[in-house]
Amino acid sequence: MKRIMIDDSKCDGCKNCSAACMQAHREPAGSIYDLDMSDPKNETRNHILADGKGGYRPIFCRHCTLPECAMSCMSGALNKEKDTGLVRYDEKKCGACFMCVMNCPYGVLKPDTLTRTKVIKCDFCLEADSEPSCVKNCPKKAIWVQEVQA
Amino acid sequence: MNNCFGCNTCKSADKPLEAFIASLPLETSHHRVESQRTKCGFGLQGVCCRLCSNGPCRITPDAPRGICGANADTIVTRNFLRAVAAGSGCYIHVVENTALNLKNTARAKGPIKGEKALERLCQLFDISGSSLYEKAEKAADAVISDLYKPEYVQMELVEKLAYKPRFEKWKELGILPGGAKSEVFRGVVKCSTNLNSDPVDMLVDCLRLGISTGLYGLVLTNLLNDVLLGEPELRFAPVGLRVINPDYINIMITGHQHSMFTDLQERLIQPEAVAKAKAVGAKGFKLVGCTCVGQDLQLRGSHYTEIFDGHAGNNYTSEAILATGAIDAVLSEFNCTLPGIEPICEELKIKQICLDSVAKKANAELMEFPFTERAHQGELIIDKIVEAYAARRGALNLDFSQANAEWKPLIDALMGAYKSIHKDVPLNLLPDHGNDNTLTGVSEVSLKAFLGGKWKPLIDLIAAGEIKGLAGVVGCSNLTAGGHDVLSVELTKELIAKDILVLTAGCSSGGIENCGLMTPEAAQMAGPKLRAVCEKLGIPPVLNFGPCLAIGRLEIVASEMAEELGVDLPQLPLVLSAAQWLEEQALADGAYGLALGLPLHLGLPPFITGSKVAVKVLTEDMKQLTGGQLIINSDAKESAELLEKIILEKRSALNI
Ligand code: SF4
Ligand code: SF4
Ligand code: SF4
Ligand code: SF4
Repeated sequence: MKRIMIDDSKCDGCKNCSAACMQAHREPAGSIYDLDMSDPKNETRNHILADGKGGYRPIFCRHCTLPECAMSCMSGALNKEKDTGLVRYDEKKCGACFMCVMNCPYGVLKPDTLTRTKVIKCDFCLEADSEPSCVKNCPKKAIWVQEVQA
Repeated sequence: MNNCFGCNTCKSADKPLEAFIASLPLETSHHRVESQRTKCGFGLQGVCCRLCSNGPCRITPDAPRGICGANADTIVTRNFLRAVAAGSGCYIHVVENTALNLKNTARAKGPIKGEKALERLCQLFDISGSSLYEKAEKAADAVISDLYKPEYVQMELVEKLAYKPRFEKWKELGILPGGAKSEVFRGVVKCSTNLNSDPVDMLVDCLRLGISTGLYGLVLTNLLNDVLLGEPELRFAPVGLRVINPDYINIMITGHQHSMFTDLQERLIQPEAVAKAKAVGAKGFKLVGCTCVGQDLQLRGSHYTEIFDGHAGNNYTSEAILATGAIDAVLSEFNCTLPGIEPICEELKIKQICLDSVAKKANAELMEFPFTERAHQGELIIDKIVEAYAARRGALNLDFSQANAEWKPLIDALMGAYKSIHKDVPLNLLPDHGNDNTLTGVSEVSLKAFLGGKWKPLIDLIAAGEIKGLAGVVGCSNLTAGGHDVLSVELTKELIAKDILVLTAGCSSGGIENCGLMTPEAAQMAGPKLRAVCEKLGIPPVLNFGPCLAIGRLEIVASEMAEELGVDLPQLPLVLSAAQWLEEQALADGAYGLALGLPLHLGLPPFITGSKVAVKVLTEDMKQLTGGQLIINSDAKESAELLEKIILEKRSALNI
């Protein structure tokens, strides 16, 4: 399966990955020029944290081999797909209990800002393109996709 | 240098050029497009602020304000005003130098080539004088004194230069500019940290800057240059890399200040200079046009046939021109002199000389040209260029066949040793590139003369629907809107196919002409009606007004036509497109277009889309203010349709 790998020493904190993620998941679709950067509906699924020492910690969903989020999800909204190895989220099944948010060891998951009725979760941009938009748009190549054991 | 050749190069509308660049053993801008493909989304939208050390701040849903509290509207319009002010400053610098050159020439009783142009200026400015020189000096002074006025004193020539209904409109809106240099100052101050935060107020300032840029930087620079350097005359001329003649010492010129070359142009054809060239094995000197100053020289080329070989290409063709190996020196004086030419010049031993310190290139020797020093500096420059030629292409080609047999072995040995040390820079010419019959020399004066001294024939053709309308395709060339000149050329093709006559100015002209659209044969690509008009008159469907400065000439054409029709500019079936705008200067030009009340198409947004207010004001509200309107679209077909629709609307409002 594929995983987004991270070299935090290369990250400049430019957040281009976040803008790319917002752009990939916005509705309706459009160009990067008309993405509303201040609309909370356009949330990013990744986070760039400052490490306080001048460096950055890019936080991306690991699509874990043993995903705590999926294992803690009672409603079956989160599942690790057999064939792709991706941890997928089904909004329709979600009960908004946020057990997954509590259990993700990396703190990537969060309830959506506006309604707090769903979870904002990396989907590897499966619908959008072959390659996750964040990876495509990182100018520093701090993140990349690599084949790993599921 | 960065060895990236072998990387993908970007597309060009000019296919022979694209293939040439892809085959070069040198890296050009066309190679670097790929490695710069990832763009910052915040930057593209203009919502990245670096005005203070709290920053950079960016607007996101979690952070809708910068640390200081500036929101997207404030950040975007501050950035935009900065760009427009800088762009305006560039053009004002050009007109200032041009006026100073005219003044100095007049004082020194130097050559004044355009007497008729001077008469026209004097009439416009209400100037009288007993001699040519007195009048020229007074005209120059009138411009200079306006430029130096404070911001709270309105410039005097604005009313004389502007089309009356426009002047009234500007007065009503309160956007008549004060001294042009002071306006730049005010713009820069206004957008500094924690000063203005009112997006509309800053956008209004852009309009004021647009007016001063347009009337002084554009219109007047042309008129002053016409006085100094001679007026444009219609003629057919060769364009493209074919213009480079390797038998000569070739000097590529780049920049925007044609008047800086006045003295040198004459000096290079004097027998003493030619003798220097001959001494190193060349036939003489030739200037090879590149960027807008090349366009300007081409426009006046009929006065300079001896020294000027032709216009080779626009800003993003300059690296290819150098890569032919036949250019011995680059004389630059302003922008559009790409930093990317520096490593190429180094590699090919091309001498770079810069004539204006504001545009000093890292590799170049700065040789400023104070008027009183012109003779001395000119000779020095010529010597340096000859030296460069000898070092690059000066392998001795002497005939020793008559030499004494006794000396022959020694001569052969010496020549052998010399040749093993000295290697000429290899030539890699593209002699078939471009074409031989591009129509040039189009100006508001020469075009009107061609039409029989009045605009009526053109107006009649428009009224009768033989020509649907006019489109100015102006401004720069960039490498991103589809590739080098791709959008400009495709849009132009679409427009002429819709029977819209295209007028061009700027680097877009350089691309469009190299693609053959300014030859009479291009009439075949026009719609049936426009084609018939072109074939009857023997003209191409795209008329080249030359450098970006000549956007000012287009405006004169438009104003004179509007006057004859008794309407205001926004009523004309006329649209503008800076499809591949590149620089801050283009944004200042664009602000002028909006102040004139014209619809202005851009292929790429000018980093404003992060602000809803800026977008609304520029694309919608402007229609109520000045009559102008910004249209952003990067698709040639769609853009042409949008522009055609506007032309049709304006036609029906005029009942034609
Ligand atoms: S959300 Fe967290 S636990 Fe779930 S797959 Fe992603 S990184 Fe692993
Ligand atoms: S919030 Fe939704 S996805 Fe997360 S654990 Fe609860 S039900 Fe499952
Ligand atoms: S795009 Fe790359 S460099 Fe920029 S913040 Fe994201 S991971 Fe870091
Ligand atoms: S001026 Fe304001 S928005 Fe700009 S960098 Fe400083 S704090 Fe941030």
